[in-house]
Amino acid sequence: MIEIKNLTKKFGDFTAVDHLNLTIGTGEFFGLLGPNGAGKTTTISMLSTVLLPTEGEILIDGTRLDRKASAQKRKLSVITQEYSMRQDMTMDEVMEYQGRLYFMPKKEIRRKTEELLDFAGLLEYRYRTVRHLSGGMKRKLMICRALMIEPEIMLLDEPTAGMDALSRRQMWNLLRQLNVRQMTIVLTTHYMEEAEALCDRVALVSRGKLGSLDTPANLIADLGAYAVDEVIDDNTRSRYFKDRDEAIRYLSAAGGQASMRSTTLEDVFVEHVGQRLTRK
Amino acid sequence: MGIITVLWEKWVEFRRDFYKITVAAMISPLMYLIIFGMGIQTTSHGEPYLHFLIPGIVAMATMTGSFSAVAQNMTVQRLYEKALDQVMVSPTPLWQFILGQIIGGSLRGMYAGTVILLLTLPIRTGLVFNGWSFLLMFLNGTVFSTLALVLSFLSKSYADAPRYTSYIIMPMSFLCNTFFSTDQMPAGFRQVIGFLPLSQTSRMIRAISAGEDPGHIGYVILLLYLAIFTGISIWFIYKKKNL
Repeated sequence: MIEIKNLTKKFGDFTAVDHLNLTIGTGEFFGLLGPNGAGKTTTISMLSTVLLPTEGEILIDGTRLDRKASAQKRKLSVITQEYSMRQDMTMDEVMEYQGRLYFMPKKEIRRKTEELLDFAGLLEYRYRTVRHLSGGMKRKLMICRALMIEPEIMLLDEPTAGMDALSRRQMWNLLRQLNVRQMTIVLTTHYMEEAEALCDRVALVSRGKLGSLDTPANLIADLGAYAVDEVIDDNTRSRYFKDRDEAIRYLSAAGGQASMRSTTLEDVFVEHVGQRLTRK
Repeated sequence: MGIITVLWEKWVEFRRDFYKITVAAMISPLMYLIIFGMGIQTTSHGEPYLHFLIPGIVAMATMTGSFSAVAQNMTVQRLYEKALDQVMVSPTPLWQFILGQIIGGSLRGMYAGTVILLLTLPIRTGLVFNGWSFLLMFLNGTVFSTLALVLSFLSKSYADAPRYTSYIIMPMSFLCNTFFSTDQMPAGFRQVIGFLPLSQTSRMIRAISAGEDPGHIGYVILLLYLAIFTGISIWFIYKKKNL
């Protein structure tokens, strides 16, 4: 279980994460959603101890996480937004380095490297240096590296950014398989359909503060499961209704420039972020 | 053990860039030896100047070899490749990572110094290089590896590493007992320069090469630098808020 208590991170006068409180259960697939600059990556960086909080703390299974907490760090694996690996190492060496950092026996490192690179379709490129890999191959290698150590908790910061639709779907399937094995997954993403498809619960953050926190279905239900889009002065405005008949009545009154559809998590996100920006 | 992991990583790097590392370690020292030692033939204290120069160049080569092996690598890993994140999140104790960097950097410095010794062998100077000389080369390497670690943690961009070389390493190369004795410097300045690690290493390697007793104070000074820089590096890796 991950407990985030009062987590705050300031860079000078700028507050990137502002008194964030979250509890993520074991085996949960948790999404951290927010616009650019919301503090998602900063939160992941604090979970991976690259950044230390200005205030607050993170507990992993009841024990405080810091840079000395080797037992807690043993449970974690991170896939960062950037390709955080030695560019001059081969894929094989990247995997071996990871295995060695986690004190894996050499035989096990060799076995897992072959298994994972084969699974990702990278085995034939194993002696190619990272510098000479395509973006998609680097992303797959980062996933292989994260899975090398069979973590209990996986932190994924925008893992499908820049991936084509097919690769993204393959990644979703992989993440679902891992989650079925009771792996706790914390995901940050810009793609709302990704969060809706994968996450048990999502937290909406903006300007470092936690907004809503619930299951995607509940967040949608709270806003209203039916959306009516109206075109007014070349701008599309959406109104949300909990009751279907009410939505139909509104649609009829609106005339030809309106349409009805189901509300999505993206609507929740836009409403949430829009309100916060307006309040600012 | 984390130290072995870092040494393995350094070995992978060394094996891949063996020729580049070796040529880089040779070029500047070789130029100094040719220009100052053989081109401008002169004497120092009644001895050929080359006898004075070689121990200083060996000390300088260990300094630059160790410093560049760590400074460049760590700055790029921390700021550009973000590969340090992989270490930070792993269960490898970070003090072991630091120790691995220090030993690995120092071994690279020793390699650079040894290359110079091998290159000067045919000159048959009669200078003595024994186990104490190699211990000093190693110790000097550890000091400059830790200095490189400290500076790489302070770097704000990866262009800072070459800047540190210009601000710190190059002045030390010329001033610290390499090309001329610090005894010839004005009082005050002499004491400050004499206390710098390269001055001590050059002086002691030179004393050993001439068959003299280098004394113990130099070892104490080098160990003092090592302790201070190691302490700062360990503080940075455990306590620096934004790595």
